[in-house]
Amino acid sequence: MAKKMRAGFYSLSCCEGCELVVFDLEEKLLKALEFVEIVDARLFDGNHPNEKLDIAIVEGGVQSELDKKHLEEIRERSTYLVAFGACATIAGIPGIRNSLPKEMQAKLNSKAIIPVKEKVFPVPAVVKTDFVLQGCPAFTHELLDLLVALYHGKKPVLENIPVCKECKERENPCLLFEGIPCLGPVTYAGCKALCPTERAQCIGCRGFTEDANFEALRKRFRKMDVDERIIHNLFTYFNQNPFKKEGE
Amino acid sequence: MIQEKFVLKKENLHAFLEALSKDMEVFVPCHNENGATTFLPYNGQEIYTAAQTFYSPKQALNKPSEKEFFFGKKSSSVEVERVKQNGGKMIFGIRPCDTHAVKAFDKLYLEYGEVDPFYREKRDSTLLAALVCTEPCSNGFCHSMGTQEPTGHDLLMVEKADSFYIEAASSKGEELIKKHRGLLNITKFQKPELNFECKKKLDTRNLKEILDKGFFSKVWEEEGKRDLNCTSCTQVCPSCYCFLTLDKFILNTENSERFREWDSCHLQRFTKVAGNHIFRKSRESRLRQFVMHKLSYFQKNNDMMLCIGCGRCISVCPVGIDLTEIAAKIRSEFE
Ligand code: SF4
Ligand code: SF4
Ligand code: SF4
Ligand code: SF4
Repeated sequence: MAKKMRAGFYSLSCCEGCELVVFDLEEKLLKALEFVEIVDARLFDGNHPNEKLDIAIVEGGVQSELDKKHLEEIRERSTYLVAFGACATIAGIPGIRNSLPKEMQAKLNSKAIIPVKEKVFPVPAVVKTDFVLQGCPAFTHELLDLLVALYHGKKPVLENIPVCKECKERENPCLLFEGIPCLGPVTYAGCKALCPTERAQCIGCRGFTEDANFEALRKRFRKMDVDERIIHNLFTYFNQNPFKKEGE
Repeated sequence: MIQEKFVLKKENLHAFLEALSKDMEVFVPCHNENGATTFLPYNGQEIYTAAQTFYSPKQALNKPSEKEFFFGKKSSSVEVERVKQNGGKMIFGIRPCDTHAVKAFDKLYLEYGEVDPFYREKRDSTLLAALVCTEPCSNGFCHSMGTQEPTGHDLLMVEKADSFYIEAASSKGEELIKKHRGLLNITKFQKPELNFECKKKLDTRNLKEILDKGFFSKVWEEEGKRDLNCTSCTQVCPSCYCFLTLDKFILNTENSERFREWDSCHLQRFTKVAGNHIFRKSRESRLRQFVMHKLSYFQKNNDMMLCIGCGRCISVCPVGIDLTEIAAKIRSEFE
């Protein structure tokens, strides 16, 4: 076997849930450790800061100057950088504050324990990011697939496919026909339509697809008489407001 | 051909399905655990024959993701191992229109160009027990497409109040009837003429030529604007067959598996080539591909339309895109 890949896990502003779910891999994690060495990770008992890495796996978004410096420093010493989970890829739940009314944002920011930036930034908005692994929490099988592919010298791409495709493969009834607003048509697949299969609408935790037709979906929601506030909240739950106009 | 005519009394239906299930996997129309109607392997569940199923029976033939073969390093050579496709299947209660979708699969995978060995294996061991329709379904237009009578089936069934009329339609079907003769009753009933009319219609006269002329029609742009490209239509369509081939490494080995996965022309990645160039970037071009393939292109290479008129894509579309309406609009513009 070729040389082991050296990996590190890092947390910016987030709940650290994505790193935790890596343990859900169980035996597969043990197998992965045969070709990946985790050299720097708080939860893995391997703190070796400042070491060079083949792959840095970063969860959380950039909320403060501290986050930004930390991220830039990680980028500096890593060959590949992976944004891992919704906070890192699309600003996620903390990013809700970006879509709040201006006065509310100011009030909220003034209450922060450490000084925060005016906005929450996802990782790709701050440093060059090689791979994004979506989801809240992130999907560990996707991390595993990525590690395996990199180990074999391949570069996987995130496929631009909507959740509906997988939802239909699982033969679910469509929630849109039951008056429930679902973000499936505009959200990256890969979760095997986890939420709609459990009869809960997709709330977009895997980010918006590249060619999402937001306007058409919003029209569909309006036709179902969904409250405007609920529509706004749904589109800005995990994602940045796609209807925001330039300069707003 | 057997001279006698048979009925399967409804009280014997489950015994019959159980008996069939001893020899093969029997896909039956039913509700799945999330409440959608589809075809699933029989396990004693209630059978749904009130109307066409929301999902087509195509998963019985082509699963959304299928392993084709395994390949790996073996000292100095590469070893390839075919994955056996599960044999012995029946699609029980397949609707006439859907049997034409199977025929379209046959044309593509078996007759046009190279024979696909994976499909061959699956198809050869699959029996079709067609259930004819006696009432129009919500969005179907089989009468326009000439698909109201089943094709390529082994058994033909007609549902009556307390029984199913059953007739053999192939030698395999005859064998089945002989084998399960004990569960069937002799009847004088004659297969009725089908005399309902579809609610929906599609004028197919010169349709191919008209659509080809309408390639740059404004209709595509108008309809494309509201298209979510959610792929729901291609996913439920019984005759959509496009797939993607991909390899997946097996953890901690030098080995891989090759998969075949459903694709959809509604996706940008469908036409993505080296250098990340995408041929059908706009929504309208992708919607147009879907409709044109169904109602024009396939016919150029095969003597049938790919759309068999089941109407599922219409029922399933969240924004109400309807290919019969698109075709009618283009006809009025270009005829
Ligand atoms: S339930 Fe949601 S994800 Fe599923 S098909 Fe409908 S819109 Fe798409
Ligand atoms: S269905 Fe939507 S919200 Fe649920 S896991 Fe998938 S992407 Fe996330
Ligand atoms: S035509 Fe309708 S069902 Fe098909 S991809 Fe477009 S929006 Fe989805
Ligand atoms: S295109 Fe629509 S109507 Fe035609 S076979 Fe497919 S799902 Fe049925």
